[in-house]
Amino acid sequence: MLNLIVPLVVGILLGYSLRDKKRVNLGGVTFWVIIVLIFSLGFSIGSSNELLSAMPRVGLNGVVILALAVFFSVVFVKIIGKMAKMK
Amino acid sequence: MIKYIVAALALGGVAGYLNDNWGNALAGNFVSDYLFNASLITLLFVMGLSFGLHREAMAELKKTGFKVLVVPFAIASGSILGGLVGGLVLGVNVFGSMAVSAGYGWYTLAGPLVGQLFGPEFGALGFTVNFLRELLTITTISLAVRIDRYAPIALGGATTMDTTLPIIVRYCGSEALITAFASGFTLSLIAPFTITAIAASQ
Repeated sequence: MLNLIVPLVVGILLGYSLRDKKRVNLGGVTFWVIIVLIFSLGFSIGSSNELLSAMPRVGLNGVVILALAVFFSVVFVKIIGKMAKMK
Repeated sequence: MIKYIVAALALGGVAGYLNDNWGNALAGNFVSDYLFNASLITLLFVMGLSFGLHREAMAELKKTGFKVLVVPFAIASGSILGGLVGGLVLGVNVFGSMAVSAGYGWYTLAGPLVGQLFGPEFGALGFTVNFLRELLTITTISLAVRIDRYAPIALGGATTMDTTLPIIVRYCGSEALITAFASGFTLSLIAPFTITAIAASQ
């Protein structure tokens, strides 16, 4: 877990300290890293036969979890909006 | 962007499937362990770097202060509650389903990270749920904006700082820009922390 939080925090601190000195366009780098990451994610999904057989069930579970997550997000934001208006 | 991501995922899937059924010629561990972890760590570093470098984002966050955190906090709580209820309804590991919904639409993070913490099946779920969240935000924005002016921001989750920001501004008005950006920014920042915290508390 620490091996994921450390690069994020180091990146933020480095970016913050460099923000007046450097104009860096990270869009291209990010794009290719994402492509490599997604390819290797696809690779590990594709090479796991148990996972491929579980996929149809993952699909239905995904729809249920997504619907509930989105529903409660919208409800909570609506409540927050109402509370802000009352003030 | 999405079409390249879908293509990379599909190509990776086909490559992994063929490699597995043709005697593991490519040494699958190299791709699914080393390449995967190296790119994930690089991505987190580069994301952190671009957050830090983003002068407007940092300045805007400082100016609005903690008030701007109310919207992403509501979205984060709502998403995680949805994951909890979903896990209970479906009878799966509720920590896994909460971690999946704590991706807030950032599928390139949630898929690999949840996969690493809860195994490949939850990784696939994390990818699917968060990928569909971004697609849903883009395709239903004209309907969502009628429910509530901030509903598209709630739907978009972490994606409202980049991919869905232009369409949100178009449908919700330019005054939604800061709220949407700050919300997506905050959710992107807390997503890796909430996912790992959920995994640690199980």
